[in-house]
Amino acid sequence: MLNIQDLKVSYDGALILAGVDLDLLRGDSLAIIGESGAGKTTLGLALMGLGEGRVSGRVLLDGKDLTTLDEVARRRIRGKEMAMVFQNVEDALNPIMTVSDQIKEAIDVHRERGDPGYVGDRVRRLFRAVGLDEAKGRSFPHQLSGGEKQRALIAMALANDPQVLILDEPTASLDAVTKAEITRLLRERMENKIALVITHDISTAARLTDKMAVLYAGRIVELGDTQDLLGSPRHPYTRGLIRSSPNMTTPKDLQGIPGRMIHGVSGCPFSDRCTQRIEICSEAVPPLVEAGGRLIACHRGGIVPLLELSRVVTRFGGLAAVDGVDLTLYEGETIALVGESGSGKTTLAKTVIGLFDLAEGEMRLEGEPLVRRDRDFYRKVQMIYQNPKESISHRMTVLDAVTEPLLIQKVGGAAERIEIAKRVLEEVELSTDEAFLKRYPHQISGGEAQRVAIARALVLNPKLLIADEPTSALDPSVQAKILKLLLDIQEKRGLAILFITHDIALARKVSDRLAVMLKGKIVEEGSAGGVTTAPIHPYTMRLLEVAPDLDPKGRGMSGPWAVPEGPTIRAREF
Amino acid sequence: MEDQYGRPLEGPKVGWDIPKATVRAWALLRRAAFFTNYVVAFLLILTLNFVLPRLMPGDPFQAIYGQEALLAMTPQLKAQLIERLSLDQSMGQQFVAYILALVQGDLGYSYYYNQQVLTVILDFLPWTLLLMGTALVLSTLAGLVLGIESGYRRGRSLDKALLASLMFLNGFPDFFMGIVLLLFFGVVFGVVPLSGALTPYSGLEGLALVRDILHHLLAPLAALVLVRVTSPYLLTRNTMITTLRENFVMTARSKGCTEGQIKYRHAGRNSLLPVVTSTGLMVPQMITGALFVEIVFTYPGVGWLLYNSLLTRDYPLIQGILLMVTLAVLLANLLVDLLYLKIDPRVSDAR
Repeated sequence: MLNIQDLKVSYDGALILAGVDLDLLRGDSLAIIGESGAGKTTLGLALMGLGEGRVSGRVLLDGKDLTTLDEVARRRIRGKEMAMVFQNVEDALNPIMTVSDQIKEAIDVHRERGDPGYVGDRVRRLFRAVGLDEAKGRSFPHQLSGGEKQRALIAMALANDPQVLILDEPTASLDAVTKAEITRLLRERMENKIALVITHDISTAARLTDKMAVLYAGRIVELGDTQDLLGSPRHPYTRGLIRSSPNMTTPKDLQGIPGRMIHGVSGCPFSDRCTQRIEICSEAVPPLVEAGGRLIACHRGGIVPLLELSRVVTRFGGLAAVDGVDLTLYEGETIALVGESGSGKTTLAKTVIGLFDLAEGEMRLEGEPLVRRDRDFYRKVQMIYQNPKESISHRMTVLDAVTEPLLIQKVGGAAERIEIAKRVLEEVELSTDEAFLKRYPHQISGGEAQRVAIARALVLNPKLLIADEPTSALDPSVQAKILKLLLDIQEKRGLAILFITHDIALARKVSDRLAVMLKGKIVEEGSAGGVTTAPIHPYTMRLLEVAPDLDPKGRGMSGPWAVPEGPTIRAREF
Repeated sequence: MEDQYGRPLEGPKVGWDIPKATVRAWALLRRAAFFTNYVVAFLLILTLNFVLPRLMPGDPFQAIYGQEALLAMTPQLKAQLIERLSLDQSMGQQFVAYILALVQGDLGYSYYYNQQVLTVILDFLPWTLLLMGTALVLSTLAGLVLGIESGYRRGRSLDKALLASLMFLNGFPDFFMGIVLLLFFGVVFGVVPLSGALTPYSGLEGLALVRDILHHLLAPLAALVLVRVTSPYLLTRNTMITTLRENFVMTARSKGCTEGQIKYRHAGRNSLLPVVTSTGLMVPQMITGALFVEIVFTYPGVGWLLYNSLLTRDYPLIQGILLMVTLAVLLANLLVDLLYLKIDPRVSDAR
């Protein structure tokens, strides 16, 4: 049993580890993930008693506090009850000692009197346990491949069958195939031990561990079950980490996290980079508290729901165009609403923005019921439309169009408004010279017009952007650029996007979650990856079937599903 | 061989199977290439030793045997010399004659000692080997141990004290150190003899003789070691500091190795390589040092002999000594190269 209580490590006066609490039992495997500099390795070294900084707090191994032990006593525990495999396989082995000598040494240092027979036998068993050819034992490290070195290092760590195994980036610098083998080996050898896997590689962490802790600037910001945490991250930093890691599960483009990590920030360590921060975030450090089976350190309780729809119904005459929709859109997230024309997607969007009346159900924005659409509402919610040239008044110049929302909201003076408009135009990668600002919609291209429309929507810095087929009137190359622009803006501002499209191929590239609409109802909702690779509803399968692909036979994405027989699925007409 | 999942550990076989004999032939060829460097260097030294005196302007006798040659040269001697050096023949034949003479151990004739040069040198060489060899071994060993301990305690008081005092000692030229030691321990305290390598005509034998020799060796040895210890010390200390930052040291620590094991077996042994190199390179310096120290202590070694032959312009002797010294340097380098193979397994694979 390993209990870590308020473990702090400071180095040259800087707090690298700012109070970590963890309780681990035999058989537990915990991943510590985070960017480099988050304090992951410092944590591992502090547990081993090898760190260089000042350590405070307690590390209890079976109730015995390790931090109070002297160096001799710690040395006896190191490698015997607690072992660590370091990163950088390339120089983690002594270059002038044979591999088996180094493994032997690990056993010998913890034995009073040498019994060569026992040691030799143990070394042979270790070689077998890590799948390393015994003949390799006589080799020097430079004669081994990276994978073999890693196996040797693991054998060394397992030498005395330690209770605690700390693995620091165990698969970094290995190629994909070797990585898979080492991962499998570790998974087996970690059984019945307390295993800590320190890594920035989320996929390795996912394969190796049952629990996961996200470390940021020396603090744990989120801790929970690995699969659960990766499937639905609740801390904005965790989501950022997952979004920036390439993997085969998320089809959405990679997005980074704005800013960089700074240690010693007063308040929440992530507040500088967080897009949903409020006043308290920069004033007080959020405690790590339990919420929904998980520990989260966030003043806002994790990523906040921005728009909550429950049983929303919109009627035209007697017909319900939107028929009882439940949907929650979180801060900084994209939900793609997919469905054929007439499925009610646009109606739903227009109901949210207030163009159609809500017949039944409830809509909440930032937790508040949405009753009146006042000026404040439009500061928070903006919409862009399918045809940019029509959505911008043809009597307005570019500058007029972009400054108009500011004028209505009575923001600043004329000069300041122009200043803001120019800044936003730059953000959407448009020219800000006088000639361009004075152009009318018919004088600019479709792509430019859509950028102007986006600039106009963004000029008030909204939290939610409803994009109704924003690129379907554009060329593919222009479309790609506009979509990238939207993702970039989302990364920077934490903008939530409700993306309405009939194109499921497009939707999976831009959205975190996908909601499939049919006949005014949401028939399937889930992560973009999940819905597009393992759809459940026949209509989703049908959509995927007809989605664009590059295979001449027309079934490039021939998945495990089959086209359902039976009643044809039809859109309702009204 | 298979791994724990029953799959073959080696990848698929690619390339040709090279027969064992070919492999062995290549290894032999590589070894030959390794020694070729030394053979070429040796030949170059011989050639230079042959060409340089003959490039000097004027009478070859004067060039080879100095001013005295003109004064004390009898016609018989002259004829003998012309015959011996083949001076009446072409350069090529002269070179052949020179090499043949060398092969027979004939380095020329010293007029001052009235003996073969080789005999003279061999008379003095053991003392230099004793002094220099001991100094080299002692200064390297002391430098290593001090460097390892100092580097391990970087920034602490022992490290600071060692660093400061050894840097201070390093500032002295060796002859000055010799003079200081001679003055204090020889003249003022009278604990060491003032000159020589052993007490003349004492008739000592066995253990007493050894003690007498060591007694005489003490002061010149101390002078050499004190000045020379700094360079291996600094090198070891610096290498130690960088080696201690390497990952494998961390691995050793995490195994639970003791401080001593980390210091000497892991970090120390890995810091050895540059020190061995520098020891090899120290040999020529040591010879210069020995020259001065031997003069100061009137120690009957090759250095003192060289000094004496310079004073008496005994050119054949000077040439002979220089040839020996260059050979010694070459030999030291060869030893270092061979030692490398033993110390660092990576070197033999890199060839």
